[in-house]
Amino acid sequence: MLETARYEAEKRLLGSLALAGGLAAFAAMMTLLAPGVLGEVDVAALAEQLPPAFVEAFDLELMGSIEGFLAIELYEFLWLVGLGAYVAYSAGGAVAGDVESGRIDTVLAAPISRERLVTETSLALLLPILAANVAVFATVFATTRFVGDPIAAVDLLAVHALSIPYFCCCAAFGTLASVSAPGRVVAEGVAAGGVVGAFLLKTVSAAADLPWLGAVAPMRYYDPTAILTASEYDLAGAGILLGATLVLLIASAAWFREVDLS
Amino acid sequence: MVAIRTDELTKYYGDVRGVEALSFSVEEGEVFGFLGPNGAGKTTAIRTLLGFQSPTRGTATVLGADVTDAAALREARARVGYLPSEPAFDDRVTGRRLLAYHGALRGDVRSDELLEMFEPPLDRPVGDYSRGNRQMLAIVLAFMHDPDLLIMDEPTSGLDPLKQETFHEFVRTERERGTTFFFSSHVLSEVRKVCDRVGIIRDGRLVEVASVDSLLDRSGKHVRLTLGDSVDDGAFDLEGVHDVTVGGRGGADAADREDGVTTVSFTYTGAYEPLLRRVLEHDLRDLTIEEAPLEDVFMRFYDEGQATADDAGRATEGAPPRDGVDTGREADDA
Repeated sequence: MLETARYEAEKRLLGSLALAGGLAAFAAMMTLLAPGVLGEVDVAALAEQLPPAFVEAFDLELMGSIEGFLAIELYEFLWLVGLGAYVAYSAGGAVAGDVESGRIDTVLAAPISRERLVTETSLALLLPILAANVAVFATVFATTRFVGDPIAAVDLLAVHALSIPYFCCCAAFGTLASVSAPGRVVAEGVAAGGVVGAFLLKTVSAAADLPWLGAVAPMRYYDPTAILTASEYDLAGAGILLGATLVLLIASAAWFREVDLS
Repeated sequence: MVAIRTDELTKYYGDVRGVEALSFSVEEGEVFGFLGPNGAGKTTAIRTLLGFQSPTRGTATVLGADVTDAAALREARARVGYLPSEPAFDDRVTGRRLLAYHGALRGDVRSDELLEMFEPPLDRPVGDYSRGNRQMLAIVLAFMHDPDLLIMDEPTSGLDPLKQETFHEFVRTERERGTTFFFSSHVLSEVRKVCDRVGIIRDGRLVEVASVDSLLDRSGKHVRLTLGDSVDDGAFDLEGVHDVTVGGRGGADAADREDGVTTVSFTYTGAYEPLLRRVLEHDLRDLTIEEAPLEDVFMRFYDEGQATADDAGRATEGAPPRDGVDTGREADDA
């Protein structure tokens, strides 16, 4: 039971720790810089000088508080797009890499179904997702208190807890790319590119006032800035992301069951 | 009971033929060799049998499970061991961890015993393994759950001669215990040593299924004569003689003979008496008769399509079509 998930997670252990450490270091740096930036830069005055579309696209008006500053400098880009793309990229390379190298042959010769193999391989991606969450949560929680400008613990907890369905959705998208693309490199590219593309789509659709266009972007359903600056928790969005994860995983398993491995 | 049965099994990759209309069966307890040159379709057939790809046409069963029925085949795989030709593993993982993982997937009843025969360095990452160590690890993984049927693709590739011998001995012992083997190979000495029957595949088609003994019988003897006199074309135009090569070319012309002797070699599939009668009509200096190497048999199957009428000067008329091929070996020997 779950031997494959355990084995795949073990393989990801070192990478996950390095990833968590790197993100935590970046989060610490941003938090430590925040009081200085917020004290010296008049964000409101700066926002007036910039084109309104630009200000809106990057939520610059929210930058005046430490919550807004961290939301924009850490969560909106590195976290949402960077880690999202990384998770999708990792998922994209997983099954496709094993098929391409032939490593999957000895595993599939065992009495394990392909559906199970795909599901458990994807499940192992929970390790980097959880490790990054724990490390960044703890770092931001501690450093905001260290600089004397604490973020509400509940908001911080929510921004991390609600990111899990979002990253799961990215992983499931990467898994679908992994089983359907003709090779590892293509799968990784499609997976990571898909997440970045979805983010651009969401941004453009908001700017162009075509909200339906961004409906397929997972970022539509997880908004760290709203959580941190307005304590708005999109629980329905989290449900949609979990539903999408399930659909993508079922599609991946169904596809992988039928495909020729050669 | 049949361990493997295929019926008109066909696999195309788009327009490219992998295998076409393979029909054969492997009986329980038998060692069946699957032979063919590179690209003949051996691996395609094996991957289809394991359910890694679905057949384009035809059917196949493995231990009674239809290869297109994923659930049935999955159950059957609990009793199947698979040894790929180029086993690939995660490089950073140790052999011991892989062993534990595969043990959890399929059960481990005899890895300790296997590790006494095949000794991959379990505590090192597999990425550091030599080709032979990788193969030994794959052998242990293939046999660790004590399967009833082994499907192996070039099983001894990468093993040193000593380990190859250990492996052949192991296969023979397992066969005594009733284990069935289906394996592809182009190492003919290996086939000779361990196989009961062979299927020969060429260009995706099965061209022959026969016991190793009958193939060897059919291949006849290699006869080599050293004669003190000259030889006319057709001097050995006997029933059962083929692939005649006369040393020095144009044996009738004494000036072409080296050291005053003519060497004649050919393959012979008839009775000894008429051959010896004919030989004794000449000034016989030396005579060797030996079993034709299995290679020659297979070369005939492999080269069949390339036979040309131009061989007339070297091959005798009237030989069966697949025997009328000069493999080039005789010419080298002469």
